[in-house]
Amino acid sequence: MPVVDPADVEEPAPPPRPSFLASLFSSTAVWILVIDVLLVIIFGFISINHTFWSIASLQVIGLDSATALILAVGIALLLGAGEIDLSVGAGLLLSSVYGGKVIIDLAGSGTLFAALVGLVVCLAVGAAIGLVNAVIVTRLHVSSLIATLATLGIATGIANIATGGTDLTGIPVALQDNFGVRAVASIPLPALVALVVWALAWFLFRTTRYGLRILALGSSRSAAERSGIRVKVQLATAFVIVGALAGLAGFIDLTRFATTNLAGHQTDALAAITAAVIGGTSLFGGRVSVGGVLTGTLLAVILQDGLVVVGLLPFYQLIAVGVVLVAAVFLDTRRTSGTLRLRR
Amino acid sequence: MGLGDTGVASVGEVSAPPGEVVIAARGIGKAYGHVRALHDVSFDIRRGEVVAVFGDNGAGKSTLAKCLCGVETPDTGHVEIASHPVSMHSIRDAERYGITAVHQDLALAPDLTVLENMFLGREVVATGWRGRLGMLSRGAMAVRSEAALADLRIKLPSVRVQVAALSGGQKQAVAVARGAMWSTSGILMDEPTAALGTRQSDVVCELIRSTADRGLGVMVISHDIPRILEVADRVIVLRHGSVALHALAGDANGRDIVDAMVGYHEHGGAQR
Repeated sequence: MPVVDPADVEEPAPPPRPSFLASLFSSTAVWILVIDVLLVIIFGFISINHTFWSIASLQVIGLDSATALILAVGIALLLGAGEIDLSVGAGLLLSSVYGGKVIIDLAGSGTLFAALVGLVVCLAVGAAIGLVNAVIVTRLHVSSLIATLATLGIATGIANIATGGTDLTGIPVALQDNFGVRAVASIPLPALVALVVWALAWFLFRTTRYGLRILALGSSRSAAERSGIRVKVQLATAFVIVGALAGLAGFIDLTRFATTNLAGHQTDALAAITAAVIGGTSLFGGRVSVGGVLTGTLLAVILQDGLVVVGLLPFYQLIAVGVVLVAAVFLDTRRTSGTLRLRR
Repeated sequence: MGLGDTGVASVGEVSAPPGEVVIAARGIGKAYGHVRALHDVSFDIRRGEVVAVFGDNGAGKSTLAKCLCGVETPDTGHVEIASHPVSMHSIRDAERYGITAVHQDLALAPDLTVLENMFLGREVVATGWRGRLGMLSRGAMAVRSEAALADLRIKLPSVRVQVAALSGGQKQAVAVARGAMWSTSGILMDEPTAALGTRQSDVVCELIRSTADRGLGVMVISHDIPRILEVADRVIVLRHGSVALHALAGDANGRDIVDAMVGYHEHGGAQR
């Protein structure tokens, strides 16, 4: 007779898979959404004449969120695969530099034409940086942290050399009027574009084979390899997509400000990682909260804009976001380890 | 012993195990540099039978499994599938011949659901434009996963739970069911009970038996001699890369197996 260990006989019933809504907005994302709404209410009450609730003020939030959201969506894609990209801010910058140069050169042959070519250049430059990252990671087997740290520096250096260290001038103002700060039904166009990107990411992770395989890569790289997934190809496409998203963000940045911002994007990648992680995306792969990417991004932007509107120094935003980041990850880890305890 | 027979099996009734030969090793040899991992190993795995492979650490068990599932190519000898010599250079090749492997680490993605794991790398996409967008057909995958699990009498709360939420035995069961679902000839299991407690090991052993009863040839590598012996039809013991014992499970007891593993007869009983 085999000796039966009583502790071993009980097989705890695993919790049921979260419902559709619950998996769309995993609880971290929902909590961050609640904080977002509370912040909007509080800032609105405090601000003089409730200006924070005005259309113009909310439009600024939308504009400020646009590039941040696009970058955070890209970061979430890579975090899901168990990788990271620190170069997205530099990719944004470098693509805006080359896109801007092309737009200035072509300004004489019509703004629309110049803008379209500029957009293509931005996407191409961004995708090229993504491809470089992909090659370094998949061919040279350098970790993505190091690889993208390197390309962050390289792309920033090239951007400064290409411009001689001064921001571009001469971008047609029509670009701003027709896209960068244009609103349709009161919603800024760049914010609409960002929402479309976000919705595509949701679709990707929710329903497609590509999204599933990305999560498989991040959840267990060896399991993905042995299941026959072409891991390197899958990873490479993810890096290129993220690079192209940074290029798109570069185009938006360019059309919004009608100039580049050589000094302004050093911390973009870290902000994007922060937004994704606050929203419940795992830093270690396999788990992405697309809903949380949106609410996490909004949290940082609402804090930043709100503090300015109520007359506080915007630097408090850095402190607040830092505190929320630790709190969100702490609660998330506690919840995860709770289920780990449950299953043993 | 737990075997329901009289202990002395007559040679006539057990010498011809049922079923055609699905996988055969024919004089397989493999060396890593100067280390001879396998030397002239030959045996058959037939449809519907469980072949247990025992051996001490370094006896060549893992190398043998790797040769049979395409991870390694033998230096000498060859593998036959359904009596045809084949040359395999990857797990993909082995899978094309209908052989799957259940690795010791199970190769499951903990964040994905049971059905997603069972179809990982072979996902079913929807038909029409949805399929062209790469949209998954989770419904179809769920139905087939549930059928594969039911086939082996595996009970899970749902195929839509994350693998991370399952117990060790349930994870092992999912890995076996996945192997069985994609196998048409043979399934190789590496240490299926190593990480499990007593009760769960017994459940997995039943599972090994029902996998074979479903018509697959099953090879089990294990250290868990008494338990695996109960479900095995034949036993192979490897020692220093060679077959030290090849017997019907009913003819071998744990003592014989351990003796063969440590080479007792080479040094003590019968000098060679």
